[in-house]
Amino acid sequence: MTVRRANNEPRWMRVLLLVVALGFLALFLGFPLVTVFYEALKKGVDAYLAGLADPEARSAILLTLGVAAAAIPFNIAFGVAAAWAIAKFDFRGKSLLITLIDLPFAVSPVVAGLLFVLIFGSQGWLGPWLAEHDIKIIFAIPGIVLATLFVTFPFVARELIPLMQAQGKDEEEAAVSLGASGWQMFWRVTVPNIKWGLLYGVILANARAMGEFGAVSVVSGHIRGETNTLPLHVEILYNEYQSVAAFASASILALLALVTLVAKTVVEWRMRKETEMLTADLPPEKTE
Amino acid sequence: MSRSSSHSVLPGFGLSLGYTLVYLSLLVLIPLAGLLAKSASLTLADIWAIATGPRALASFRVTFGASFIAACLNGFFGLIVAWVLVRYDFWGKRFIDALVDLPFALPTAVAGITLATLYAETGVIGEWFAKAGIKIAYTPLGIVVALTFIGLPFVVRTLQPVLEDIEPEVEEAAATLGASRWQTFRRVLFPAVFPALLTGFTLAFSRAIGEYGSVIFIAGNMPLISEITPLLIISKLEQYDFVGATALASVMLVISFVMLLAINLLQWWASNRHRSVPVKDAAALGGAQ
Amino acid sequence: MSIDIRNISKRFGNFVALDNINLDIPTGELVALLGPSGCGKTTLLRIIAGMESADEGQVLFGGAEATHLHARERQVGFVFQHYALFRHMSVFENVAFGLRVKPRKERPSESEIRKRVMELLSLVQLDWLADRYPSQLSGGQRQRIALARALAVEPKVLLLDEPFGALDTKVRKELRRWLRRLHDEMHISSVFVTHDQEEALEVADRVVVMNKGRIEQVGSPDQVYSNPATPFVYQFLGNVNVFHSRLQGNLWAEVARREDGAGGEGGGAGDSLAFVRPHDIDILREPVPDALGAEVRYVHPIGPVVRVELAHQSELVEVELTRERQEELQLAQGQSVWLKPRQVRVFPAGTVAGEALQDFSI
Repeated sequence: MTVRRANNEPRWMRVLLLVVALGFLALFLGFPLVTVFYEALKKGVDAYLAGLADPEARSAILLTLGVAAAAIPFNIAFGVAAAWAIAKFDFRGKSLLITLIDLPFAVSPVVAGLLFVLIFGSQGWLGPWLAEHDIKIIFAIPGIVLATLFVTFPFVARELIPLMQAQGKDEEEAAVSLGASGWQMFWRVTVPNIKWGLLYGVILANARAMGEFGAVSVVSGHIRGETNTLPLHVEILYNEYQSVAAFASASILALLALVTLVAKTVVEWRMRKETEMLTADLPPEKTE
Repeated sequence: MSRSSSHSVLPGFGLSLGYTLVYLSLLVLIPLAGLLAKSASLTLADIWAIATGPRALASFRVTFGASFIAACLNGFFGLIVAWVLVRYDFWGKRFIDALVDLPFALPTAVAGITLATLYAETGVIGEWFAKAGIKIAYTPLGIVVALTFIGLPFVVRTLQPVLEDIEPEVEEAAATLGASRWQTFRRVLFPAVFPALLTGFTLAFSRAIGEYGSVIFIAGNMPLISEITPLLIISKLEQYDFVGATALASVMLVISFVMLLAINLLQWWASNRHRSVPVKDAAALGGAQ
Repeated sequence: MSIDIRNISKRFGNFVALDNINLDIPTGELVALLGPSGCGKTTLLRIIAGMESADEGQVLFGGAEATHLHARERQVGFVFQHYALFRHMSVFENVAFGLRVKPRKERPSESEIRKRVMELLSLVQLDWLADRYPSQLSGGQRQRIALARALAVEPKVLLLDEPFGALDTKVRKELRRWLRRLHDEMHISSVFVTHDQEEALEVADRVVVMNKGRIEQVGSPDQVYSNPATPFVYQFLGNVNVFHSRLQGNLWAEVARREDGAGGEGGGAGDSLAFVRPHDIDILREPVPDALGAEVRYVHPIGPVVRVELAHQSELVEVELTRERQEELQLAQGQSVWLKPRQVRVFPAGTVAGEALQDFSI
């Protein structure tokens, strides 16, 4: 940051603002983050490990990982397809489509869960038919995956659309004019150009997929050892006053959040480096 | 603009748009339409009766009130945090900058139990407030705390790029024209960041309205006092009151749509407000027709 | 390979980008599409390349129908305005791309690819940059790599969109000459788009002047400059004085009409316009027949020429003199002088848009 004398507040003002900002962040972010680990380890490492060794905890961890692993490929496919159509082509209703993609972010997770209960639940539209064919979606894993897909829906597309719009279609057109087929163009030109943006979207989507509570809570049914994801497991333990075990499981999720933040920062740094490289000697505005 | 896409030399338009629309419809649009259709089987009067029942009305008051207060807190402190992160240098700045996203990354249930522990009367922070006679956890105040936590990144992250984009010359110009630092902030900087601030505020507010996971642990969940609408929907669902749940959910959904529209309008306003020279003049400056 | 463009039209919504364009480009020629922004020149180039398809009309390559041929199969080399180099590939890989994506049967071996790419890189004099990435190159270097990449697939036609538009003046001049040499060595047909008249006049064999989706004139650089077919071409290529004969006493329009026998359709003397280049007007200290009286307003010596602004009644007239001539005349502000044109063109007033009196020169 350059020093700009004319633009600097008096020293006392700067100190005051800094103290207020850091105090606020400490109160709302710092303390909670430390507390998770403090509470988890309060009764020692043995109690902590015992909390995690519980078979129900283990099955919750596996379920959470599995649900995220199932949701991410859908997210990637959708994000890339939507960004390709939106960024590289002109069509009517494009801005409406972009708004619709953001829709799941605006919907309360609880409402999101309810949507699927109304369709697939025993009282839902397809409930009788599903019961007849002995297919379980609500209070079963498919429901959890569906709810997770819904709440993570926009992440990858949101990252890729502006990125691909900024990159334009010149490189793809150049590839085609040099004789590349559609797949060659996609794998050799498009994918390398969007890989960091894609990874960024996946990191965010993954964090949300593993941490989702509200939507999953509505559709899961909380069957221990079966449809209990890790966040739901935390809730149950906490409500049963098993504080150490609850925080032990929570600490796994908090670690995951920290990993997410680090990965996110690294990818952001990579992306900034790439755009800096590109804009370093960018030609002036297009004339036509 | 016509569909020049059909002439484009790039492949995959039909496939990618088709896939996008099908996936969007199956996962988002049809379920949403299903909810609205279900609520359409009720008369408006029924929905009105459910939504204005004492418990529902109280839940709306708690949800919107707490969300509004939390968004205001975030607007105020978020502006200061963004300012400090963009303008000042201090040790550990990059770490703190990354930490701002914690509420995005930390599962809401974890946030909920942690905040509840911290702000309870026996908690590290709650203790201090308890001495002053203020109870936070298990009161509506606790809801505000949780909603402030989850809304925090929105304001900061919306403001940061805008603050970074302000050219130092603008402030220098104000200073050379004799403006004090405060006048420069109030008349030059604040108007420049105001649309972003409002956008961040709306995003935080909209997120807070729907929030469930972090709130239920700290709220106490007393009907009529500290029960939020999403929780009320869930308890109706648990009592197999699908009609009640649907009615409340469709009210929330309509509010979500309105918020989404407001956010879009705000962003459009923010980006178009100071559109430079009209196109015609710009072309003339370029020297060509 | 020759290119025939027949009755090509293209619309974007309500905007007519190209309006019934007909153009023949013979084999081996270097043709410039010249015009202001939005005149349709880039659209035409993209239609030739197959990047855009026309609403109506045909494109023929070497006499064979190519209108519906995919860009991939047209064997054209396209150089993009902003180069469109693949940012994540090295210079070498950029140039090799066209060879690597060939179907397995036609694909050269790795050693052939290597040889061919290095040949091309030395052709553009950048073989020492093979391992760099596009972001590490200057604008001029990127442009040459983009050219090498386009040439790698041995195109029959080379198409360049504003090839020097984004470069600074010095590099631009160098690259222009270099492109001319390259074109002559490669024996292919080349078409480039530009809005810079100097560039078009210097490099091209033929210049196609376009405006508002139509072709205004096709001709050699000398033809279009010395014999502009339309008022637009007159104004777009170089400076010009326009005399409104509507204003009384437009002697030159009358004189020119008598001499040419042209311009009769425009009706009476009342609606003709006379076009005279600033360097086609002589300034005299004494009256002669057919000369217009004028008063000197400003005298600016600019490099090798002297630009004189004069007022003839209410009209402003710009004249360019050589330094020698100014030394003879010793013009100074406020003097009364007489203007005599060496060459005048008259167009009926209806052919010139009212606002078209801007100066397009750069």
